[in-house]
Amino acid sequence: MGGFSEIFWHQQAVLPLLALLQLLPLLGAVVVLAFRERSTAIVIGKVVALGELLLCIVVAVRIDPVSPALQLAERVGVLGYHVAVDGFSVVFLLVAALLTFLLTLYGMSRGMISPGRLFAVLLVAEAGLVGMLVTMNVAWFAAFSALELWAVTYLLRRWASSRQETQALARFVQYQAFGWALFVGGCLVLGWNHADATGGQWSFDLFDLAGAPPAGRFQTAAFYLLFYGLAVRTPLFPLHGWLPNMAQHGLIAVAPALMIGVKVGIYGMLRFVLPLTPAAVEYWQPYVVGFAMAGVFFTAALAFLQTNLRRLLAFAVVSHTSLLVIGVFSLHEAGIQGAVLLAANFGLAVTGMWFVVGFVFRRTGTTELDELSGLFERVPFLAVAFLIFGLAIVGMPGTPGFDAAHLILEASIDNFGALSTVASALGNVAAAGFLLWAFQRAFLSPGKPGAHEVDRTLPMEYLVCGIALAAMLTIGFFTEPWLHLTEAASQAMAGRFAK
Amino acid sequence: MSVPLLSLLVFLPLLGAGLLWLLPARAARYLTAVAMLATLAAATAALVAFVPDGPRFQLVERSLWIASLNVHYQLGIDGLAVLFLPATALLFLGTLVAGWNLAHDAPRLHYALLLLLQCATLGIFCALDTVLFFFFWEATLIPLYFLLGRWGAAPGSARAASRYFLVMLAGGVPLLLAFILLAASQTVPTFDLPVLLGVPLPRPTQTAAFLLLLAGFAVKVPLVPLHTWLPQFALAAPGSLTALIVGLKLGAFGLLRFAIPLAPDAALDLHWLLAGLGTVTVIYGAVGILAQTNLRVSLACAGISHVGLVVLGLAAFNAQGALGAVALLLSFSVSTGGAMLLLEFLRQRTGTTDIHGLGGAAKTMPLLASGFLVCGLAGVGMPGTSSFPGEFMLILAVLRSHTGAGMAALFGLAIAAAGFLSLYRKAFFGPATRREVTEAEDLRPREWAVLVILLVLIVGIGIWPGPWLDIVRPAAEAWGAGLAR
Repeated sequence: MGGFSEIFWHQQAVLPLLALLQLLPLLGAVVVLAFRERSTAIVIGKVVALGELLLCIVVAVRIDPVSPALQLAERVGVLGYHVAVDGFSVVFLLVAALLTFLLTLYGMSRGMISPGRLFAVLLVAEAGLVGMLVTMNVAWFAAFSALELWAVTYLLRRWASSRQETQALARFVQYQAFGWALFVGGCLVLGWNHADATGGQWSFDLFDLAGAPPAGRFQTAAFYLLFYGLAVRTPLFPLHGWLPNMAQHGLIAVAPALMIGVKVGIYGMLRFVLPLTPAAVEYWQPYVVGFAMAGVFFTAALAFLQTNLRRLLAFAVVSHTSLLVIGVFSLHEAGIQGAVLLAANFGLAVTGMWFVVGFVFRRTGTTELDELSGLFERVPFLAVAFLIFGLAIVGMPGTPGFDAAHLILEASIDNFGALSTVASALGNVAAAGFLLWAFQRAFLSPGKPGAHEVDRTLPMEYLVCGIALAAMLTIGFFTEPWLHLTEAASQAMAGRFAK
Repeated sequence: MSVPLLSLLVFLPLLGAGLLWLLPARAARYLTAVAMLATLAAATAALVAFVPDGPRFQLVERSLWIASLNVHYQLGIDGLAVLFLPATALLFLGTLVAGWNLAHDAPRLHYALLLLLQCATLGIFCALDTVLFFFFWEATLIPLYFLLGRWGAAPGSARAASRYFLVMLAGGVPLLLAFILLAASQTVPTFDLPVLLGVPLPRPTQTAAFLLLLAGFAVKVPLVPLHTWLPQFALAAPGSLTALIVGLKLGAFGLLRFAIPLAPDAALDLHWLLAGLGTVTVIYGAVGILAQTNLRVSLACAGISHVGLVVLGLAAFNAQGALGAVALLLSFSVSTGGAMLLLEFLRQRTGTTDIHGLGGAAKTMPLLASGFLVCGLAGVGMPGTSSFPGEFMLILAVLRSHTGAGMAALFGLAIAAAGFLSLYRKAFFGPATRREVTEAEDLRPREWAVLVILLVLIVGIGIWPGPWLDIVRPAAEAWGAGLAR
């Protein structure tokens, strides 16, 4: 069916792992909410987040990375429930679960108001993310996406860190609602086309839809609706307008981590856009890649202009997301594999940087670069962590970014020639430029009066940054298992476009 | 081979850097000294274990690192690289001693970074897999960035640190692309250097790879016009760090080890490019010496001139040129690095390395002044110093292959010598005017030790170069033969 095959869960595991994976955070959220603001709620929140992470690890161990089939599949007749995972989804799932766990630790260390409710919302968002990552049904994907967006909107409303949050919130809702509507529109085109072809049988299932992609203009329309819907979410230049404001005024670290720590936009493109509208993808590939290359540099230039560390990071995200899109749309095995690994790397690294920014904000009450100075003397660990996360984004050897960027470059040499490859690789150097510049101004510059009063690094801060760093460096030096995990899925995906 | 000697050598400094955190901060420099001495011992052991007439790559260690990409952890040395190991170990030891009494804040971090830098540098010389090489190559940037940005003396040091980092990162882009290109052009993609050396590539691939590699290494060498970071670096960095940067000839080593042998036909075609860049760099560096008033910047310019000469020697594409180039690189590592360290001693006493603030320094500091003179003369290739044999061979080879360029380089050498002597006269002779100079004390025992080791190496190798050249010669001949096909 559409070139997909699947292995059902009872052949691989004793329990329907994916169902558990989706239910655990939802149940956790209900329990945490029931305990209201008691300290038990916080403990339960952490335990559930940790449990979800362990469950993801079990899934990663259970699946067979050599097989290109979708695995641990579950199908129920009701509402077209159909879930399965392959190497790609496992990588994204692990990142999502790890980040949520770190966010629960981080949320505690920042001492935020009503932590119980915060944890409940966090778990709802996690449920949304996990749902998007395991479902094989575009309609379910859209539904989970709505759930997660609702959670983030709620976070922004209740825990905003500055007065201008209303503006940021409005911008966020406008953009996301529009993107979501586009995506739903794309789903409807596909579903209607399926109904048209099969005589009134509506379906949004990936397996059904991939078998008979719409013809001609309908396919182009579906491609554009789905692609731009996801591009808002990703965010892809020039649809990134919601991110800088949200980053500057929203709840530090938590909201950005949920929106951009896990690159579900990129995942959606890989899982749905590429297989469902193959001809349109091939036709529009040069334009998408051209825009992405422009985006790498345009947003890097914007990042140089920022005076606020949080806004600067937001533009850094948009810049590197463009690189991911180049990888996905290379339609080449190495490029797709690189994009998946790089997405995981960026997610971890950027979230790590957000954590450090949050810790700095707790001390200084500001993230304006002009007002920060001499932090290296007081919090050297956080400073070094910030720099290492930054270097991971740049693709320094020893971080997961290196092998991934290496794969994308390999793919783009094959597809687009050496010149444009050099150009996109230089985009990385530009990113290194603004990150180093920010690092210098905030951490290395000589301390101004008053700067020396900030607290030393706290144990919880060591823990949060330490886990993220350890995860990153371990993957960086032992890339092999991750390459192995994603290899078959990348081959299968690239095989759809082999000429 | 039961002991993985090269791994031990490369990772001893890293082990030291880890152990630093277990001891109190005031013991940091002693532990660093122990780690560096152990590294020197390991480097000497590698030198002893190396058989000049044996197989090309020796002490090879190989294990799979990233299987899907066919990347190996592979170390090994040949005659071209083996002498760089003890030279590097010595240079780091000298750097440590030169900064011994400077009160570094956060000493453990400082010394850990220095050891990390040593680990990466030794790795560059030993790596036989292009990805591993690139890994070590980029790994030098992080410690350098911090050592310069955090412990830099001058006000512009943070800026210089960023600039260095970005310039080198940009230089890394063509290198990585070249390595990917080389790997992809094999039937089975591989990053294994000995394998890559054995398989001739089609001409267009070679040309692309050679140009990319040249662009990447030229930044580090540095070849004019990609040299502009170096004078700024030399001014902003602490003296000991400048000694490392000027003393470690990584860029030229990269050309020798990778760019030319991996793309021999393209290199032969583009010999004019290499020779031209080399000649321009020699003369530019020499004129730069004349134009400076700061001894440190002028030494940096001398370093530029030196590597230009070495690149010119490589462009001769024969064994004699390669032998001369390696001998010169080693000699310049010692002499220029040593001169930088002596300048650091001078700066610690007088607070400046600008000739306007010096003058008459030889009266109060005769030992320092004479030591600096010897290093300087070695830098211009005076007979009796370690540079002479290499320079002589190199110039002979170049005069035969590129007569015009050779003549121009000789002219550049003459300018460099004149520039050095003129600066030396202004800084060390004449009446002493400033109090810092008249009241300065001469070298202390610790600094004495550095000077004696330097002089022994410079004069000893200068008078008796045979055994050292014999270590390099077979490898240089193999290198020349690899090009002649």
